[in-house]
Amino acid sequence: MIDFTFSEEQNLFRKAAREFAETEIAPHVPKMEETGRNWEPVIKALGKGEMMAITIPEAYGGLGLGYVARLIALEEIAQVSVATAMMMQVCGLGIEGIVKYGTEEQKKKYLPKLATAESFATTAVTEPSGGSDPKGCGTSYKKVDGSYVLNGRKCFITNSHIADVQIVMAVSEEIPDTFSAFIVEKGMDGFKATHEERKVGMRGCNTGELELKDCVVPGENLVGKEGKGMSIAMATISDVGRGGMVGCALGLHQACLDAAKKFANERVLYGKPISNLQAIQFKLADMKIELEAGRLLGYRAAALQDKGERTGNEWAAAKYFTTEAAQRAAKHAVDIHGGYGCMEEFPVTRYLRDAYVLGPSAGTSDIMKVIVARWVLS
Amino acid sequence: MPTESAAVFVIAEQMEGGIQPVSLQLVGKARKLADELGTKVGVILLGQNLTNDSKKIIAAGADLVLQADSEALVPYQSELYTEIIVKLVVEHRPEILLIGSTFMGRELAPLIAARLETGLTAHCIELIISSEGILEQRIPAYGGMITIVCPEKRPQMATIANGVFPSPVLNPDKSGEIISIELPKKFPQRVQTLEIFREKLEGVSLETASVIVAGGAGAGDPEGWNQLEELARILNAGFGSTRPAVDAGWTELETMIGQSGKIVNPDVYIGVGLSGELQHMVGVVGAKIMIAINKDAKSPVFEKVDYGVVEDCRVFVPALVERLKNKESFVGKVR
Amino acid sequence: MLNIVVCVKAVPEPIAASNLKIDPVTKSLPRLDIPLVINPLDSHALEAAFQLKKKYGAHITILSMGPPPAGNIVRECIALGADEGILLTDPAFAGADAFATAYTLAKAIEKNGPVDVVFCGMSSSDGATEWVGPEIATFLNMPVVTMVREIVEDQGDEWIVKADYERGYRMVKIKLPAVITVTRDLNHPKPLSFSGIIKARSKEISEWNHENLEIPAELVGLKGSPTVVTEMTRVESRRNVKLIEGSLQEKVDRFVQILSEAGVV
Repeated sequence: MIDFTFSEEQNLFRKAAREFAETEIAPHVPKMEETGRNWEPVIKALGKGEMMAITIPEAYGGLGLGYVARLIALEEIAQVSVATAMMMQVCGLGIEGIVKYGTEEQKKKYLPKLATAESFATTAVTEPSGGSDPKGCGTSYKKVDGSYVLNGRKCFITNSHIADVQIVMAVSEEIPDTFSAFIVEKGMDGFKATHEERKVGMRGCNTGELELKDCVVPGENLVGKEGKGMSIAMATISDVGRGGMVGCALGLHQACLDAAKKFANERVLYGKPISNLQAIQFKLADMKIELEAGRLLGYRAAALQDKGERTGNEWAAAKYFTTEAAQRAAKHAVDIHGGYGCMEEFPVTRYLRDAYVLGPSAGTSDIMKVIVARWVLS
Repeated sequence: MPTESAAVFVIAEQMEGGIQPVSLQLVGKARKLADELGTKVGVILLGQNLTNDSKKIIAAGADLVLQADSEALVPYQSELYTEIIVKLVVEHRPEILLIGSTFMGRELAPLIAARLETGLTAHCIELIISSEGILEQRIPAYGGMITIVCPEKRPQMATIANGVFPSPVLNPDKSGEIISIELPKKFPQRVQTLEIFREKLEGVSLETASVIVAGGAGAGDPEGWNQLEELARILNAGFGSTRPAVDAGWTELETMIGQSGKIVNPDVYIGVGLSGELQHMVGVVGAKIMIAINKDAKSPVFEKVDYGVVEDCRVFVPALVERLKNKESFVGKVR
Repeated sequence: MLNIVVCVKAVPEPIAASNLKIDPVTKSLPRLDIPLVINPLDSHALEAAFQLKKKYGAHITILSMGPPPAGNIVRECIALGADEGILLTDPAFAGADAFATAYTLAKAIEKNGPVDVVFCGMSSSDGATEWVGPEIATFLNMPVVTMVREIVEDQGDEWIVKADYERGYRMVKIKLPAVITVTRDLNHPKPLSFSGIIKARSKEISEWNHENLEIPAELVGLKGSPTVVTEMTRVESRRNVKLIEGSLQEKVDRFVQILSEAGVV
């Protein structure tokens, strides 16, 4: 028997996350939009609001909650700021690598500070030579006296400049087709966050490039086993990185629907609010149906994940659907606003810009379809 | 007064330099109710140096004043007042007991009602004797009017705000009886008012303003609220509010106009960003011109005013203020 | 350690509820799906209890009378930091006026055991009589002070508080055990936290009906209410509105003209 209702506790999590987003995150959004930066206060707020502790086990200072709780929190925060939700979810991606594949020492060393956002995290895979094709990874490593020396460049990395703890994927210089993942820490010699991107959307979310030049990483910073780097990176991205994108997309989609409804009820044309017009109503209906469908895809994947199952396929389908739907919803919302949909004081303009940055994050829509096709044909 | 005689009673409240206006208004109303019932008006008054006050109460229409005069009764003490009043009510057995909804009234009324195990209605704006001789207590709610009765328990109690009923014409020739009430001999009190402090009131008093600007949820946020305040200042108007604005924390309960707040009677009323809820509108009595500014063309407020502007107040008010600043000179009159 | 009871009411979310109107045809309130929230002033009552717990140690019991969905509100109060909750729920409790409500709550407080302070919000957002706190005090034979905006002295069993009063405030001395009703100015309620929600898992919520309270059904709910609503009518108060039209500036100009004709400017 399938129960599609949230538990009392989950409803309380949602209420807490919503109140948190409205009081602690929302006030910082205008400056984030204006400057493309100003992430410090929201990172601090995320720490204080216990948002980063959600998927960290209690033994390491976390709340020991699961992926449904994470999705609820991301959805609520994204309604107010997709940029913040993005930084939060990518940090969660870095955390996942350590929780799932880290040694006891690594967990004890990094997780407690990550739980309070005293430290922040990310996972760095994408390079100029390939994101959709991760094997195009050019960042390399070689083993030298029990340590590893890394060289290369990463791009389009969320939290590039903020993260203290970065899980970097690199290819072995010695053994072909062998990838390993390493924890590289901010401040290590030879490791630099270089160029900061100016994105058209998700402004205030820190995205940038990393440079590794003869960066010496101690042996104990290897995550998992040598040669397992690709599967570790892909597993965390497919199960947690894409799950996070679904949270961002659902929150944004809800915000688009709320803004469209509000405007439609207030805007009077032909003597009545435009919400009386069927053309407008049909757009609202489209937005609503897709939001409900996206929620089902997302929460089902999260629930399966909480049961311990591998959910790469479900998340690929959910990520594809929710991010594409959010883009359609943003366009509908802008259209409903008419000329006002081009004016910056109306949040829908930001929603449109945020929506299409959702697309290529954690894998493009085309890659998602490749994964789902494989699922079908397997 | 024969103890079996049913009567309409009022608990009057003394204030610095006289009687609370609402107390006299209730005596006037009690007179009308008593005349309908063919009975008498009794008033209970606690305080100090009450003789002139009691005489005024009789001139307002009372047949009997039960006055307890002592320094122990100033300031208001809930337990002592309740004890004295309950004893008098049990002795005189009135049918109806009215109290003004002042700060004192709002604490004292339920204490008395609970002791007497009787019903008590808040925020009445109308009192009518039904054909069966029962008091119908009307309160505004949910866009309409609700009638409440207390069919069995006695007395039927209600609190009424200042300004709901008119001030009675005083008749110095009216006769009435004044009886002095003894305080209980030894009465240990577990709660005591130590001292009352008055705070400085800012701005134009709502009760006397001839122009009032009232703001509601449409102000949006504290910044929007400040814009409305500026409009009130420029017009030298009283600045009032509705419940959503108080709940949002933009202003104090003291500024709320309506059924459970203040009753006002300006010449000109300007409602900004509010929906014209009955609970608020009943607080505005006898305005000659009513104007509303609201961004929702469907807002019910537009059915209750003479002039309306469909516009977001956050856009309209700053533009209006700008225009008023450029006007040469003007005076907002205060009665 | 203090024994504190906080009376909490689950009310329809105030802004959504402000749209509730009497149906002119059925002359009753339509059933709308408005979510329940903690009565806003009760959040301040709760916070007062939490601050005392922090200072002196306290066992905080939440007491709420309502239909089963009100249990979620009790759970939320526990997630905010209370130690246990009691939901008074029973079809017999329905239709209670302030008197019957206060009586039922008082009986529950009595049954719950010794108490030092009972905190209540001064009024509820629906109803808003302000009667329940003082009536509870009467039924429990306790002193009460209403509209408290500041607790000045809270050590020992004789407190000094500042309460809203006519054009200002009054300083009041009150002996515990007592009932205190609070205003918004008293404190800033702290927000819900995920860790608080997790801690609430191990805390208990009991459900009591009128039999658990050992009171006959005639003394509670509609039957136990001395007052009763006999009629609801929709009121149409109409004026003939003239909408001011035109561009923003045109509307402003016309507005000023109206004010001028009225002698305001």
